[in-house]
Amino acid sequence: MLRTEKLSKRIDAFSLKDISIEVGKGDYYVLLGRSGAGKTQLLELICGLMNPDRGRIYLEGEDITYKRVQDRGIGMVFQDLSLFPHYSVKDNIMYPLRVRKMNLKERVDRVQHVAAGMNITDLLLRRPGTLSGGEKQRVALARTLVTDPKILLLDEPMASVDASLKDNIRRLLRRLNRNGQTIIHVTHDFGEAISLASRVGVIHNGRIIQEGTPLDVFNHPVNRFVARYAGIKNFFRVTFITSYKSASAISEKRTRFRLPRGEYPSSGLLIIGSSEVLLSRQGASGFGINNIRGVIDDIVPSPTGFEITVNAGDYFYADITHREMEESRFVTGEKVYVSFRPESLRIVGNGEDTKEY
Amino acid sequence: MKGHTLFNWIFTILAAMVLLFIIAPLAGMFFDSSFSEVRTTAADPAVRRSVWFTLAIAFASTLFFAVGAVPLAWIMARKKFPLKSVIQGVIDLPVVLPHTAAGIALLGFISREGVLGGAAQKAGILLVNNGAGIALAMAFVSLPFLINAARDGFAAVPERTEKAALTLGASQTRIFFTVSLPQAWRSVVSGFIMMFARGMSEFGAVVIIAYHPMIAPVLIYDRFNTYGISAARPASIIFILVALLFFVLFRVLATERRVLFKREDDASD
Repeated sequence: MLRTEKLSKRIDAFSLKDISIEVGKGDYYVLLGRSGAGKTQLLELICGLMNPDRGRIYLEGEDITYKRVQDRGIGMVFQDLSLFPHYSVKDNIMYPLRVRKMNLKERVDRVQHVAAGMNITDLLLRRPGTLSGGEKQRVALARTLVTDPKILLLDEPMASVDASLKDNIRRLLRRLNRNGQTIIHVTHDFGEAISLASRVGVIHNGRIIQEGTPLDVFNHPVNRFVARYAGIKNFFRVTFITSYKSASAISEKRTRFRLPRGEYPSSGLLIIGSSEVLLSRQGASGFGINNIRGVIDDIVPSPTGFEITVNAGDYFYADITHREMEESRFVTGEKVYVSFRPESLRIVGNGEDTKEY
Repeated sequence: MKGHTLFNWIFTILAAMVLLFIIAPLAGMFFDSSFSEVRTTAADPAVRRSVWFTLAIAFASTLFFAVGAVPLAWIMARKKFPLKSVIQGVIDLPVVLPHTAAGIALLGFISREGVLGGAAQKAGILLVNNGAGIALAMAFVSLPFLINAARDGFAAVPERTEKAALTLGASQTRIFFTVSLPQAWRSVVSGFIMMFARGMSEFGAVVIIAYHPMIAPVLIYDRFNTYGISAARPASIIFILVALLFFVLFRVLATERRVLFKREDDASD
């Protein structure tokens, strides 16, 4: 449906480089990246607010690289929503219909229909300045959706919404996508990406560094940056030692990891999810399991329980639930075993990644 | 807290001295004139004609030049181009020029021998010693007030709202009239009022271009030269009162935006 081919654009000191993405009809594509990574600029290139220095953009097979913004049939909701403060909600939503010289009855019908879909019928006579963040978000969506865009571009749509209302917007966006709306959604929040995306593209320093399903990206991050983005904190730079009988790795801090048998490069980066790390006073039992002794360095409350940092030469991060904490009553300074199965360890990228982001 | 109070006292006294400096001469003029003098002068057809002529020419001049000044303000607020700061300097130039010098410069341009004046004469229009010349003189010295106020107004309009309108399918022209101008409206009108006010009080440039027909500031000067201060004072009072009245009236109208600028839905539905 939408395909970009090696899009490049220089903007002052920053540049987007060779961006090639493909978004299928009905896809929910999330572009994930830190602020300043070039996400908004890429959206502006796609919708035509900027022209690329190089590369092409195709929409439904048509080359739209230099087509006028107004004629692309792409809708965009900006991060700050950019509602027209001098118009009522109704006039905001009606704005694109007036542009299209639609007759009054049809205009009113369309506004009523989209307002009902967004659950904002009771706000139609209000001014944007009197609305909450969530309400403004719905109005901005309605104003764009009323144009029936082929693709909907969303720039950080949760940014101006209270945490308590994020679920509402998420549900709304999922429903839109289920009804066939193709969406490209830009965010810096991996959780947001995982809960919405059918495909994820990770953008960093103006380049797409990984693309795939959210699960792919989470399970097989191509580098440390993506892994960290996916919420992984346990990273170890290691040297692999393999024989025909066993495989292991030794970190720079001399921590030894047992690995499943297999082929390994000579060195690389090992990761393990915090939820896969177990803590105990006696160590865990089981064939081949890794048991590493260390001292609890810090205990920090997290949304699901606690995150415990253990200093074992290398630092390990473990997530434990409230119930586990009540049973174990771990305290800082206590000696514990960090345990995990060899299969839980993953190698980042092709193992050659040594780049520090 | 004591120091804070002393600070407030000093600043209040300094501020009051400046205000007094502005108010005292005006108040003195009012106290020094009798009501009958003012009434007699107000009935003088020459004075009446001159006051109305001044207001009408200043208004027409502002309106006429706003057609080009507002787009110029938008360009200055939105576009980046080489020598932009030089252009800004040119816009501000009339503010720093001695107004009589501005009048002389303008006279060279609009007299029969000048570029514009010569062309206008071929079309049968004389630009010196008439309303058109006076309007040009007023505009020359007062344009920066409109351009700069409108430029600040456009600069304060979030550019994203204009971009959003583009993605919604609107043309540049439509965006200017339905998104940029309505949001900058207060500043544009405020600039319009300042230009009008500055134009109608202009003396130096106008007197070089046209002594006759007399605008109010020239009439006051003429009365002072011919009959002395007692004759000039009532004419001054009348002009100040009328000018103030219009100034306040425009300000009130400008704050009630919708009176002057209809909302799009009112216009099209």
